Amino acid sequence: MQHKIWTSFLLPAVALCVMSWPAAAHHAFGSEFDADRPVILKGKIVKIEWINPHTWIHVEITKEDGTKEEWMCEGGSPNTLLRRGANKNTFPEGTEIIIDGYQARDHTELRANARNVTFPDGRKLFLGSTGTGAPNSDEFSTDKARKVGK
Amino acid sequence: MRSRFLVPLLVLAVAAAAQTPAKKYNPPRMADGHPDLQGTYDAATLTPLERRSGTPLVMPKEEAAKQEALAVAVKQQGDKAIDGDRAAPPKGGDGSPGPAGNVGGYNTGWLDTGSAYTVVDGQVRASIIIDPPDGRTPPLVPGRKAGESAYNLNIVGFLQASLNAKPRPTSDQTESNDPGLERTPGAYDDPEARPLGERCLIGFGSTSGPPMLPNYFYNNNHQIVQTADHVMILTEMVHDARIVRMNAQHLPKNIRLWLGDSVGHWEGDTLVVDTTNFTDKTAFRGSTPDLHVIERFTREDAHTLLYRFTIDDPKTWTKPWTGEYSWPESKGPIYEYACHEGNYAMMDILKGARIREKEQAAKHGSK
Repeated sequence: MQHKIWTSFLLPAVALCVMSWPAAAHHAFGSEFDADRPVILKGKIVKIEWINPHTWIHVEITKEDGTKEEWMCEGGSPNTLLRRGANKNTFPEGTEIIIDGYQARDHTELRANARNVTFPDGRKLFLGSTGTGAPNSDEFSTDKARKVGK
Repeated sequence: MRSRFLVPLLVLAVAAAAQTPAKKYNPPRMADGHPDLQGTYDAATLTPLERRSGTPLVMPKEEAAKQEALAVAVKQQGDKAIDGDRAAPPKGGDGSPGPAGNVGGYNTGWLDTGSAYTVVDGQVRASIIIDPPDGRTPPLVPGRKAGESAYNLNIVGFLQASLNAKPRPTSDQTESNDPGLERTPGAYDDPEARPLGERCLIGFGSTSGPPMLPNYFYNNNHQIVQTADHVMILTEMVHDARIVRMNAQHLPKNIRLWLGDSVGHWEGDTLVVDTTNFTDKTAFRGSTPDLHVIERFTREDAHTLLYRFTIDDPKTWTKPWTGEYSWPESKGPIYEYACHEGNYAMMDILKGARIREKEQAAKHGSK
């Protein structure tokens, strides 16, 4: 009986909490980005700003007409990644990445939220060693990054 | 007003004494003989502030293990690879609810919400609140408006804030509050209308407190530095430092501080911190500047602090309430959280609101 109470109460609670992770943001993303301007950005890392409250990933993309654009994409707080062993040298300049997200409401700005950041094969750049807080540098192997970056 | 504290404290003292008749741990000590509480601590936990009515404080261990495994599984799911050859997300939004305004947030890899329920006296706890015994905040004084009701569910805070005509930024409000122009006119009129965390003033979720609570999101780290005369408590988000003056009197009532005025003393091996003199800026869960917080820090073992707090504000709650949870030692250092350094988002949020206003005006004008 008690088992049922716990299950019925906590499963939805935890599930809702967890489900809201990708949706919940540090601040008002809904005012910042335009739901009618989805973007898929395939290019190379120019630099990553490891700054709070949010990391900004700069990526250079080549458009169909051959011209290049540099976009800035907003991620989470860098502190979590630092704690897990990632730093500004983990993802070298030139690493190929793909970011999907939505452009800033001001369309003159080449900014978007980094809704998903992956290597070209779909692996997430920022994996988490859940909960332990222990650095796990294997998860941030630059070898892997370089392989897909070339 | 003091008497409001006495009964629950006595109850707690008796309960604590009954549960732990002989604590033998002898903590390392400072030169003045008091316990050395210094260190860095990770206060992240799955245990919510409040628990559902009718459920017990102590959680069956097997159930806790199941929930913790589920949390890990969902996190791992978020970390899984996706299609590298994917298209852009859908036009019109990705359907993500509320706070993220239909555009999604960012990958789970950025997050560190905690992966375990807090354990106190060997008990897995289902809520941080231990008094009232039902694990819920006491009834509000008639006429007072509630703050957030469920810390671990951001969506609840969002929905509650949405009901207000113009949400007042508070210390416990999540930064993800984005009720939208239509429902909350004025919420984006200027930077000062934005939540305190979004403004980089103090951390969201009452991380710096007092009371110092987990934000169920990330960076729930604290550092304690101790001397005989002062104790400094640094909260990683957003680099909030509380200075506790030991064996001192409170400042005059006309001197008010965002994090309150904290004075401390030792009761045996427990550091007791008494905080008053709040402003009307933070309003913890709807509290007034008369908020009075008593915190108790006790070293439970070489790697764990017990953090207990009692809240009293007779203008807000009908009686005081108390919570407690463990602060396990953090394996790493605290990193700087220089929030203003990179808060590009504030400009884009306000700019986005101006653009939305223009779009709305054009829409109405064309009709």
